[in-house]
Amino acid sequence: MSEAGHLDTPGAAPVDMKKEMLDAATVLSGTAPARSGPKGRSTSTTSDLSIDEEIALHSIGWEPIELVCGVSLHSIPMGVWNWGQGEITWASNAYASAFAAATDRIHRQCAKAGGHGVVGVHVEPTVHRNHVDIALTGTAVRPVSSKALSAEAVFVSDLSGRDFALLTTSGWAPVGLAVGASFVYAPRRTAGVAIKQKSQNVELTNFTEAMYSARESAMERMQRTAIAMRGSGVVEVKVTEGPMDFAHHAIGFAAYGTVVRLVADAHQPLEVRMVLPLDDPVLAFDATSLRGG
Amino acid sequence: MADTAADLPEAAGRRFADGAFTSGLTVPDFAACLQMGLEPVGFVQGFCVMQWQWYGMGSPYGTFGVPYRGGTSGYSETWQCPHGFVSAEHRGWGQNYEQSWIEDAWTTGFASACGRMVEEASAVGAHGVVGVVDTTEPLAGQGVLEFRVQGTAVKVAGGPTPAEGRPWTTYLAGQRLAKLIEAGYAPVSIAASVASVRVWAYCITAYLTGGTGQSWSRQVTGAEIEQTSKAHMAVRQIAREHVRAQLAGDTLHGAAMATSDRELGEGDVELQCILRGNRVRRFKEFDPMPAPRPTVRLL
Repeated sequence: MSEAGHLDTPGAAPVDMKKEMLDAATVLSGTAPARSGPKGRSTSTTSDLSIDEEIALHSIGWEPIELVCGVSLHSIPMGVWNWGQGEITWASNAYASAFAAATDRIHRQCAKAGGHGVVGVHVEPTVHRNHVDIALTGTAVRPVSSKALSAEAVFVSDLSGRDFALLTTSGWAPVGLAVGASFVYAPRRTAGVAIKQKSQNVELTNFTEAMYSARESAMERMQRTAIAMRGSGVVEVKVTEGPMDFAHHAIGFAAYGTVVRLVADAHQPLEVRMVLPLDDPVLAFDATSLRGG
Repeated sequence: MADTAADLPEAAGRRFADGAFTSGLTVPDFAACLQMGLEPVGFVQGFCVMQWQWYGMGSPYGTFGVPYRGGTSGYSETWQCPHGFVSAEHRGWGQNYEQSWIEDAWTTGFASACGRMVEEASAVGAHGVVGVVDTTEPLAGQGVLEFRVQGTAVKVAGGPTPAEGRPWTTYLAGQRLAKLIEAGYAPVSIAASVASVRVWAYCITAYLTGGTGQSWSRQVTGAEIEQTSKAHMAVRQIAREHVRAQLAGDTLHGAAMATSDRELGEGDVELQCILRGNRVRRFKEFDPMPAPRPTVRLL
């Protein structure tokens, strides 16, 4: 329990785990009644949060209420991955539209469940030749027993319950998910250049430039979304990049993260305590280092 | 296989009576269980092998010329072609529907395997089963599926007999179980459900999935594939409803949702969503712990 800080709290009585387990077993035997949730609430909830995340949420006065999701598939017309110049706008737009529609659905499910936001969202983007699939799954949360908000007012975040608690404690709040994606053709090389490069280990500038082009467009879109949400910045940005499996001459770059905004007057400094673990990690000797190379 | 402890293999009874316990717990989990007053008594398992065909009993395939469902219970939605002509090549009608016969088969396999594991635990006098792991894998080639559920049966030192003599079960063990208890939740049972939705694509879905929408209607090119998107939302919703039906007012904790698809043709797809988690019940009043104190590890 030391991760939760409970036993480390000065003055807190040590937890008698055997007694707690016995109490739990007594309720399960049917000889003692079950207890209600926060503020007497007895509604059944669903959540994909770990127990660590739930404890962290409880400690800041929030509770999980419902597992929610949003999915959308958008079409990409046939032939757009053939050789061309510049950005493959059909693919970039399909990615953005699918993400927006999936986000809208998870917003509505969250609001319907009475949540104020969704944390720990798993983002599953898949780009196929002719369609983009985006699936979002997370847990709707709210301050304990608070009233429901409208779908527009709720936030969606891929931060874990623990990160959400840490962010909130520091005076910040998640605003939403920002995404940017761009798909770009790597320009064709002339026959002469291709033959010349084949026999030398030189930079393939057409691919490097395509990579930079896709990256700049995607990052700019993500930042623009964050600004539109009136966020201060984006944290936990995840990036996927590289050639498409089905079209090696096309480079894709996608980035998403949680937009955050300072809601307190100023950043709340955390009182960080240094700890020296006594469980010695095996760093002094690593058998793989004997293998050479 | 009957569902009573008396039907356990004779060798299993002898093995459990031998004295030394068996367990699937790691050493840290074992230590944490002892700390909580949980004594391992045996490594328990349940198996169930099912004939597994997509066109199994209860499916509409082969019964009618057209495999569409109509007037059945469960999720169903239909789409009509907007182009206004009939052709053998043109899909004039599409449907999404829940494949209840697949869900029933999965539920039978899982529930039987789980029931047999609990039966073993009950036979050794356990109060609960911790660290449950379940797997579903093809056995002996295609068309046969093995459901396997296993865990470590434990006794609560000085604890009362579980309700109806049926041991409780949980996917958690060790430290995570200790935290669950400390947070005020008692493990009731593992909860799992499956949902299966079939998409029979109509013309627009087929064109959009194949990227050929522009041949027919400029405005649909690059648009959302509404029929498939709705099927994806529905399969997840059904899985949640099935699990909720098992909760009986309790809470589902630490859920994991896994969705898979099987493409059968242009736009035609079969979706499956498995949702599993821990059904837990509050045994003490909501008493949040103090906010965790951030630490920096000195290594």
